[in-house]
Amino acid sequence: MLAIDARDVEKTFRSGWPRRRETRALRGVSLAVERGSIFGLLGPNGAGKTTLLSILATLLTPDRGTITVLGHDVVRDAALLRRRLNMASGRPSFLWSLRVGEIVAFYGRLYGLSGRALRARVDGLIEICELGPYRRVPYSDLSTGLKQRVALAKSLVNDPELLFLDEPTLGLDPDVSVRVRAHIARLRREQGITIVLTTHYMREADELCDEIAFIKDGKILARGTPGELKRQIRLGEVIALRLDPARVPWLAESPGVLRCVEVDGWVECTVDEAEKRLPDILRALHADGVVIRNVQVREPELEEVFVELAK
Amino acid sequence: MSWRNELLAVWAVTLRNALMGARNVFFFFELLFWPIVGVLSIGLMSRFLELTEAQASFVLVGTIALSIVNVCQLEVAYAVLLDVWSKSLKHQFLAPIGIRHLTLGSWVVGMVRSLAVFVLLAALGRWAFGFHVLQPGWVALLTFLLGCFLTAWVVGVAVCALITLFGNRAEAFAWASVNLVLVLAGIYYPISVLPDFIAAIAKAIPLTYFLDAYRSHYGFESEFGAPIATGLALSLLYAALAHWAFLAAIQRARRTGLLLKMSE
Repeated sequence: MLAIDARDVEKTFRSGWPRRRETRALRGVSLAVERGSIFGLLGPNGAGKTTLLSILATLLTPDRGTITVLGHDVVRDAALLRRRLNMASGRPSFLWSLRVGEIVAFYGRLYGLSGRALRARVDGLIEICELGPYRRVPYSDLSTGLKQRVALAKSLVNDPELLFLDEPTLGLDPDVSVRVRAHIARLRREQGITIVLTTHYMREADELCDEIAFIKDGKILARGTPGELKRQIRLGEVIALRLDPARVPWLAESPGVLRCVEVDGWVECTVDEAEKRLPDILRALHADGVVIRNVQVREPELEEVFVELAK
Repeated sequence: MSWRNELLAVWAVTLRNALMGARNVFFFFELLFWPIVGVLSIGLMSRFLELTEAQASFVLVGTIALSIVNVCQLEVAYAVLLDVWSKSLKHQFLAPIGIRHLTLGSWVVGMVRSLAVFVLLAALGRWAFGFHVLQPGWVALLTFLLGCFLTAWVVGVAVCALITLFGNRAEAFAWASVNLVLVLAGIYYPISVLPDFIAAIAKAIPLTYFLDAYRSHYGFESEFGAPIATGLALSLLYAALAHWAFLAAIQRARRTGLLLKMSE
C-alpha cells in the first residue's frame, strides 16, 4: 500500500519585478513511497528536494501533476492531511522566547490535545528526545543540536502516520547524529511511521533508507534500494590494498582495473569484477616483490554513486 | 473540526501570544509608556489652549481610542509577525491551524491588553484632567470599546494579509496604515472639518462612527443618523473582507513559495 503516489509533479518559482525570473524547481517528478518504509531523497543543493518535500507536506502547491498522500489529494484535502503528517527541518526555528515545553505544548494543542493527554504527550516526547534538562530553557538559548531535537519532538506531537525529515542531522555532533538516526529507525520499527527524508550524508541514507531517489535539476535521475543504485550505476567494486611500498604505478594499467586512487595510505582500485581480478592482482604484486599488508573488497560507497549521478 | 478543537486552537494562540508578550521588554512601552505620554501631552495641550471641558473630553476620547486601537491591532498583527520574525511560519502553517484561530487568539490577547491600557488611561484622565469615561454610561462605553476592538481586528488582519502577501518588506507600511486609518477617522477633530473627498473616505471607516456615537454623550451633536449600526455593519463587512484577503494571501504564499522563503 502506498503512502505517497506522486505523478508528473511540476513546480516553477517566479520572482523579480518588472523582469520576471523563472526557476523550474521540479520537472515532471514521479515517485511512489510504500507505507511503513523510509524513503530518502538525495541530490545536490538546489536539486528540488526541499520543494518536493514541501509540496508533499502541503506547504506548497504544485503547478501540475497529481499527488496522493495517505490516500488523499494533497491540494484538495490539505487541511485533513495536516492532522496526519508532520515535518522536522534540519534548520529549525521556533518562537525564541518560548521554552522547550511550551513549544511542544503549543503544537500539541493545535492537534487537539489538552489536559492530562497533552501533559503526558509533552512529557513523553521530552523524554524520548532527551530534552528533560532543557524543558524550561527558552528556545533562543539552545544549541543547534538541541534545537533540532525540539523540532523532532514537535514533529512527533500528533503521532504522525507520515513524517518528513528535511536534513534531520544537519550540523549535529557525530554522537548526536548517531542517536537521531537510531531514533528515526526506531520510529519506523516500533510505530510503523512512513518517513521521507532528505540528506546530504550518504552514510545516513545508506544506513536508514529502504529506497532512495536521486534528484537533480528537478528530475529524478535514479531510484532504487541502496544496493540496486550501486549496481545500476555500474561503478564496479573496490579492492582496497595496504602495500609496501605504498605506490605501485603499474597497478592502474592492470587488466580490469578502471581506476586507482590513494586514500589514507590505502590504494583503492575500482575493478569491473573483484572476484575475477583479485587473484591476478595479488599474484602480480607478489611477483613484483610488493608486500601486501591488508586487503579489503567492498561495494562502492553511495557517495560515489551520488558523485557519478551529480556529474 | 469539532468545537473543542476549534477552541483549543484559539486558546493555543492566545496562550502563545500572552507568553511572548509577557517576556518582551518592549511590552512595557507598548502597554504603558506611549499611551501615558499621549494622554498627558494632549491633556496638557488642552489646558494650554484653554479648551472647554467638552472640547478637552473630545480630544481625550480620541487619544484613548488611538491607544486602544494601536495596542490591540499590534497584537492581532503578531499572529503572523511573531512567526515571521522567528522564521517559524512554515511550522505554523504545517499544523492544522486556520486563520480564524490565529486572528481570534491574538485578538483576545489584544483586547485584554488594550483593556488594561484603557483602565489606566481612564484613571489618569480622571485624576489629571477631570475627564470621566463613564459619563456617557456603561452601554455607551462598552459599545465604544467594542468599536475600537473591531477596528483593531480589521486593521490587524489586513496587516497580516499584507505581510503574507509581500513579506517583511510590508512591515513598515503595516505600521503606518493604522495611523492613517486613525487620522482619517477623526481622532482629534470632527470629520466635518476634513476636505470633502477625505471626509468621504472617513465615512467608510467604522471607528469614525463609534467615536461620533461616544462623543455625542459629551455634548457634541452626532454627524450621522445611526452611527453604531453603521459602524457595526461596516466592521462586519471589513472583517469579512480582511479575512478573505488574509486567506487569499496565504494561498498565494503557498503557491509562490513565500511561505517557505519567510521561514529561511
